[in-house]
Amino acid sequence: MAPVLISALEADYILKGIDDNLRADGRGRLDYREVILETGLITQAHGSARCRLGEGTDVLVGVKVDIGTVDIDGTEEEVATVKAKRGRVVCNVECSPIASQQFAGRGADDINNELTQMMSRVLNGPQGGLNLEKLCIIPGKACWIVYIDALVLDYAGNIVDTMFMTTRAALFNTQVPKAIIHDLGDGEVEFDLSEDVEEWERIEGWEHVPISVTLNKIGSRHIVDATPLEELTTEAKLHVMVNRNGKICGIQKSGSGSIEHSLLSEMVQVHIFVI
Amino acid sequence: MCIITVLLILISLMDGRRANELRKIKCKPSVLSQADGSAYIEQGNTKCLAAVYGPRETRQKAQLIHNKANINVEISLAPFSMPQERKKRSKSDRRLLEIASAVKQTFEPIIMTNLFARSQIDIYLQILQFDGGTIQICINAATLALIDAGIPMQEYVCACSAGCHENHTLLDLNNAEEMADTPELTVALLPMSGKLTLLQMDSRLHVDKLEPVMNLAALGCKEIYQTLDETVREYVKDLFQKSSPY
Repeated sequence: MAPVLISALEADYILKGIDDNLRADGRGRLDYREVILETGLITQAHGSARCRLGEGTDVLVGVKVDIGTVDIDGTEEEVATVKAKRGRVVCNVECSPIASQQFAGRGADDINNELTQMMSRVLNGPQGGLNLEKLCIIPGKACWIVYIDALVLDYAGNIVDTMFMTTRAALFNTQVPKAIIHDLGDGEVEFDLSEDVEEWERIEGWEHVPISVTLNKIGSRHIVDATPLEELTTEAKLHVMVNRNGKICGIQKSGSGSIEHSLLSEMVQVHIFVI
Repeated sequence: MCIITVLLILISLMDGRRANELRKIKCKPSVLSQADGSAYIEQGNTKCLAAVYGPRETRQKAQLIHNKANINVEISLAPFSMPQERKKRSKSDRRLLEIASAVKQTFEPIIMTNLFARSQIDIYLQILQFDGGTIQICINAATLALIDAGIPMQEYVCACSAGCHENHTLLDLNNAEEMADTPELTVALLPMSGKLTLLQMDSRLHVDKLEPVMNLAALGCKEIYQTLDETVREYVKDLFQKSSPY
């Protein structure tokens, strides 16, 4: 990835502005840009959403559900019994080179990987909100696999927050085909998929899917929803994922700088305020 | 009798079009914030975004050409874009690389590369939804994005496909029609001078049929040209209005 540079004067301008609670685009420290959400754009996916933040960042998420086998090989018995009754969520994030020149060629590999891991960590597990047990079709044999593919189409800062917002909207939009289970006797079970679109169901628990708020530490202050220039001035970022009950579902620090302990708790408090 | 034949007898394709009718085109230039030029095109259910960066200094020494600009094309396909199950394609997927090189060859003679010696022009294409006609949509999107970037070109390049099924010529095939093993001819045309810059055919076609299919494809290209030209003029008018103080 080609390093993007910022001049010392420009960095200073941003820093001083933040001290005075006034940013280059007229926002205060804790103001978000305008959010535009659209759902159901990709007819070939089971669910999709697109989110535009201000005039810049644009993320498109497509959700496809697919029937898969339960993967329990090589795990302990206790874990395997739990796993056998669950579906799975597979996340994938791609930063398209159309978003920014720095994502061309192999340039996006690192950031794709980082974002993919972050998203799967949050969405797989009880904190993800989705009721994975509802995604099981035949315990131990077949289950639904939910593929969540996020595509970053345009970059103007704050990808992570936009990505989580769009994912939540796309999961809300997702319709899973209904599986009709036939008992053939002798413990043999088979299933068919319903053709009737009206019987399709939403994934249970989409309303508990967390969204993220990213706080950028610049100087001794912190701001939300940074623009690319502000991100370049940022020493450290803190992504906090929160669900609608105000519970924290994940915290992750990124960036090269460090955060003081006292500032951390203040930042987390701010968070709840922003939500 | 297969379903396509039945439909053809009714002279209407699967999506309710007539045999010599294009799919609905929607296009919009300047949709992205970071790129120098960008465009979004929808042809029926196929959707594509294009971004152009440059002309600027070449990054890799090996790609430097002394007397003209180097054009670099990269195509990516969204994992959820296919009608079948989800499939992740790497950037080195052969089919995508082939299309990228076809797009590159199409634009090389049209862009006035000799004006930008030792520099590079990047064209990035992202297919969001796939329903047949990848090459043609890539070329049309790239044309619009290049115009938006203000890169000097000799003229527009418009691409369109046409096919033939049991003596009926068809315009602008969608995925289902492509899958039915119809001979498909993709043509990129310079609409003003009438020259061809790309020609590709799948399956087999009787030599007597080539002429009518080609003519139909050329007609399709001209129709696409009109749509693109209208969009560009409309957009420029809009820009003028916004920038004028009155």
